Amino acid sequence: MKDRLFDALSRSRAGYTELRVRRIWSTSVLVRDRSVESASTASETGGAARCCSPGTGWGLVGFSGTERLDTMALQAHELSLAGASRQPVVLAPIPVRVHDASAAIPDDPREVPLAEKRQQAESLAALLAASDRRIASTRVLCRDEVVETWLATSEGTWVHELRSEVSAAVLAVAEEGGNVERALGSVRIQGGWRNGTDGADALVERVAGRSVERLHATPVRSGRYTVVLDQGATGALVHRAVTHLARPSLPGADPDVLPLGTRIGPECVTVGDDPTALGLAASSISDDEGTGGRRTVVIQNGVVVGHLHSRETAAAGRQAPTGHARAGSLRGAPFPRASNSFLAQGQGTLDDLIQGISLGVYLIDALGCESAGDQIALRAGSARMIRHGRLAEPVKGVQIMGGLLPLLGRVDAVAEDFAWDATGGRCRDGAAGVVPVTSGAPHLRLVDVAIGEGIS
Amino acid sequence: MIGRLLAAVSGHVVAADALVKTDDTLSLAISSEGETRVGRSRTETAYLRVLRDGRVGYSSGSGGDAEIPELVGRAMTSAAAGEELDLFLPVPAPIPEVSTRSPQAAAADAGELDGLARMLLERLQRGNRRVEAWAERSIGLVRVGNSRGVLVGYPVSMAGVGAVVESIGVASAPPCRVFTSGSDLPTLNELERLVAEVDRRLGPPIAELSSGRAARLPVCLAPRAVSAFLRPLRAALTGHQALLGDSPLRGKLGEQVFDARLTVIDDPLAPGRPGSRPIDDEGVVSRRIPLIDRGRVAGFLADLGVGARAMVPSTGHGWRTPNAPPRVGMTNFRVLPGPENLATLLTMMGTGVMIDELDWGAGPNPNSGSIALRAPWAYLVEGGAVRGRLEGVVLSGNVFDALKELGGVGNDSTWIGASCLPSLLLSEMAISVSG
Repeated sequence: MKDRLFDALSRSRAGYTELRVRRIWSTSVLVRDRSVESASTASETGGAARCCSPGTGWGLVGFSGTERLDTMALQAHELSLAGASRQPVVLAPIPVRVHDASAAIPDDPREVPLAEKRQQAESLAALLAASDRRIASTRVLCRDEVVETWLATSEGTWVHELRSEVSAAVLAVAEEGGNVERALGSVRIQGGWRNGTDGADALVERVAGRSVERLHATPVRSGRYTVVLDQGATGALVHRAVTHLARPSLPGADPDVLPLGTRIGPECVTVGDDPTALGLAASSISDDEGTGGRRTVVIQNGVVVGHLHSRETAAAGRQAPTGHARAGSLRGAPFPRASNSFLAQGQGTLDDLIQGISLGVYLIDALGCESAGDQIALRAGSARMIRHGRLAEPVKGVQIMGGLLPLLGRVDAVAEDFAWDATGGRCRDGAAGVVPVTSGAPHLRLVDVAIGEGIS
Repeated sequence: MIGRLLAAVSGHVVAADALVKTDDTLSLAISSEGETRVGRSRTETAYLRVLRDGRVGYSSGSGGDAEIPELVGRAMTSAAAGEELDLFLPVPAPIPEVSTRSPQAAAADAGELDGLARMLLERLQRGNRRVEAWAERSIGLVRVGNSRGVLVGYPVSMAGVGAVVESIGVASAPPCRVFTSGSDLPTLNELERLVAEVDRRLGPPIAELSSGRAARLPVCLAPRAVSAFLRPLRAALTGHQALLGDSPLRGKLGEQVFDARLTVIDDPLAPGRPGSRPIDDEGVVSRRIPLIDRGRVAGFLADLGVGARAMVPSTGHGWRTPNAPPRVGMTNFRVLPGPENLATLLTMMGTGVMIDELDWGAGPNPNSGSIALRAPWAYLVEGGAVRGRLEGVVLSGNVFDALKELGGVGNDSTWIGASCLPSLLLSEMAISVSG
């Protein structure tokens, strides 16, 4: 493959050419209640050729298979000329890298028979259904994916990477006396088959417990509370409210949301993104431009000190590329995207954070966290009231909304119990596509936060 | 390729169907700084489904003819571990006429897309705005066949243009996203409508709810907001949820559930729209399906799989996507217009909130109909006139309850992607403003 890619690059007439080929093997088994609804394997190969030259914009050709790579590069060059760009592409320099991380995957999911994967999904579904008599309906989706990437550029960079990911997603619907509630959760682990299935039983128990608990949860009363977010909810907030926005010059992204040098939170808030963190779903040795990933701090002690960059946005901002150019689809162009976002740990435990709160709300996990401009909305997976320094009854409908600055300005404590979230979400961003993301955080406390009338 | 796929499994399976979709998409985006990105993507995706020993197996791939043996092998493996299902594939039937392709859109090149995007960008540009514009066209061919003799193909084209407008110096105004799409290239009138929509959204000054941070008020939803608001209704009418799941409409066929002014159909035969097609991805001929008829539940949508499980015929709403089994989905979702124009609806509302766009976001459970959605573009209406733009608005309540007693249905039906929707006046909803 290496020879074919560099041969195609040598025929390109563009000033800069990049060729990425990716092959994805995947298996998915869906069990609805006790019935297997589908069990299938798939494999897809494709990629993108991208070109620019002095004075031109980008030209990109997405393709299937691996045939005629030289033609793809030539067509991409023609498109870059056809665009009649009034602003040329300028790329920040990166060191030429040759990196091979394609060693065989221990316990490779591709070698596990589909029947065994089906059995695993059925076992989880049975465990879920049997966990409580009030579980009325269930859905279990088990998936694994092996991705091999070959990336070559006309500057000489060569990257070859092989990675594997195993995931399970679970939905439980609980019913009692006409009251119906549901809960969902997922776990996504990078690595071999058994490595990824280890946490699935615990996930099932957690999701079942939440759906049943919600049957008796009362809607939260709207108002202003001191709130404590668990690691999952904090991680979701950090991704959406900080690292997702810390990317300059993306279509629809306001570059003024997080200007460098601005204080947006207290001293205890330090946020960054680390694509090199080991073993996470969004970790990688290189981004899709061949830049080596590096841990990038976005907010240092409450002040914006950096952004996540591709080579192009780095050049425009006179910064160094950070290795965050990620393609959101097999045939798509790379854009700056967050990977493994983190909030650095502070001091104290969850008990320390809760102590002294006479009336508050504890948010556990995030069903969703969205942003529009600088407005953020976080919907809790589940929640409990905090009364007199202790966790109390479950409540539902907990949703935090507000402006980025007012929200982060209300942070008053960060605990020391940092943990990466194995849920592993996906970040969707319009034309930039969908990329896997992970977050890591400790517990977080915010004061005087409006809890809206929400449905979760 | 369809014939070769079916021939490859013939004699080894009880039945099989196959679908091949080709797509050639050309897209162009112009950044606010004037940088142009042009992208082209060509794909041919083949889907195979086999019935063997009472079980169903699936596979898909984009490797062309060379991949046929692998596709067959994967489908067989999938069937060995797959669902037990009595699936009956359709037989050939007359195909309805429906326009799915425009020669103009099919012929559009990068220069033409550049002209469209640049025209929209320049029309939207103001001193206090940062505008990015894009244009796209795709052409392709859909071919579907099965072992019972169905073999149909139809050409498709799609074209769209859109923009993201960011306001500089307007406190907290979110990015304003607008687009229009159809099988043909957008007309100048359609571009002007987008320009007018952006001006209308950004024009009003900031206002505050006189009733404080929370109130129950009448709400007028513009078509783009209706699209998100009706997601629970769409889910309740579709597939497993509707026929076998916990849809609140399940088992209520023929019952008067909603306001008599509400009529909803699924219309694959609407000419030149994103969901238009003469036949579905499983070889079932397309037809208009009444879903809500003057407030009565009139129909649910099924594909072959859900139909087999629920013992009902497919309505021709099967869709295939890569690496997944077929799923049930709407084609073109239409809410029929009412008699009132938007000005009349606002006059009828008197004091309330008009919402141009709702963010569905992640997390809400569409099955229950309960929602709490952000409204990034919401306006205070007093005395039937827009007084100003509201920030941080959240619309809460239950969609199914709100549709039981509508305040009015607009005559301003607008195509938004594959949905054609009028404005809706809701009698009362919870409105809260986050700080």
